[in-house]
Amino acid sequence: MLELKTLESDETNLRLLVTGVDTPYINAIRRIVLTEVPCMAIDEVVIIENSSVLHDEIIAHRLGLIPIKTDLDGYNLPEECSCRSEFGCNLCRVTFTLDREAKDEPVTVYSGDLVSENPNIAPVSDKIPIVKLGRGQKLKLEAYARLGRGKNHAKWQPVSLSAHKHLPKIRIDAEKCNACGKCVETCPRKVLAKSKGKVEVVDLYACTMCRDCVDACPEEPSAIEVNWEKNAFIFILESTGALPPERIITEAVKILDRQLKEFTDQIAEVQKA
Amino acid sequence: MIIPVRCFTCGKLIADKWEEFAIRVKAGENPAEVLDSLGLKRYCCRRMILSHVDIIDEILRFHEEAEKRKEARRRYYQE
Repeated sequence: MLELKTLESDETNLRLLVTGVDTPYINAIRRIVLTEVPCMAIDEVVIIENSSVLHDEIIAHRLGLIPIKTDLDGYNLPEECSCRSEFGCNLCRVTFTLDREAKDEPVTVYSGDLVSENPNIAPVSDKIPIVKLGRGQKLKLEAYARLGRGKNHAKWQPVSLSAHKHLPKIRIDAEKCNACGKCVETCPRKVLAKSKGKVEVVDLYACTMCRDCVDACPEEPSAIEVNWEKNAFIFILESTGALPPERIITEAVKILDRQLKEFTDQIAEVQKA
Repeated sequence: MIIPVRCFTCGKLIADKWEEFAIRVKAGENPAEVLDSLGLKRYCCRRMILSHVDIIDEILRFHEEAEKRKEARRRYYQE
């Protein structure tokens, strides 16, 4: 049945070969990753002093877009938190402070200058410029980060890429093919290669199914055929760094499970009535 | 003005890569190779860095001139 194979995996990227599922199944996971998996982002900013050249709103917006390393087990979504307060509590909010001043030389304020109340919750990178301060300018603010979902604002999306594509199927007719190499030359992704008087597929997963090789083939009808495998997909995920990619997928599956359970419960209610 | 924090199209973090890109391209490296080594694969993220003009330094100069003028005016009225 369902089979998974890891094609590529590091701290931010994940590429999976998923076989034995249909399009709605894999698309549901893709969309839940984008819209439902929570992650942390700065949501509210109190500007105490800002004499920089950027307006308060622009600085607040830039702060909001900074991806923040998220601890999903230690924090609650504000709407699900037991504190029921609009302002939030220690379980659903992280406070950051920033206080920088340029004295004699202009300075750049970086995301690394944000001081978090919880050392585990910090910006993904310390080198994001927030603003540049000229001589005598000052920036002092307090920022509150919360968990949120991608459907409310893109800053709460844990990924910068969540996509799936069909697994390509390339068939070369050995009888018709005379190994002229025209298809090898035109392929923009270097999927094909010529070896021992034969054209071979060397990098199937790179194929985008553009079918340039089919058009390039001088044989009529073409000796090469590009199609896709039924019920096999390549799932590509690129995390912003807020959460590890494996965690994002497992979280997405959990959320889908919860939603389906809610659905069956509702159906049972309807049947009872 | 200042480099945007994320790519407008896909949302990848790009702001932390700008300074390295600017330094290395100024040193004479090929911009395409620098973008590759920074891990910017898609053309949406590449154009963010490639087409950016950092003018915040120029804006800061105006700020300094304005401060000087304010100071001069203050001194004039004191005398």
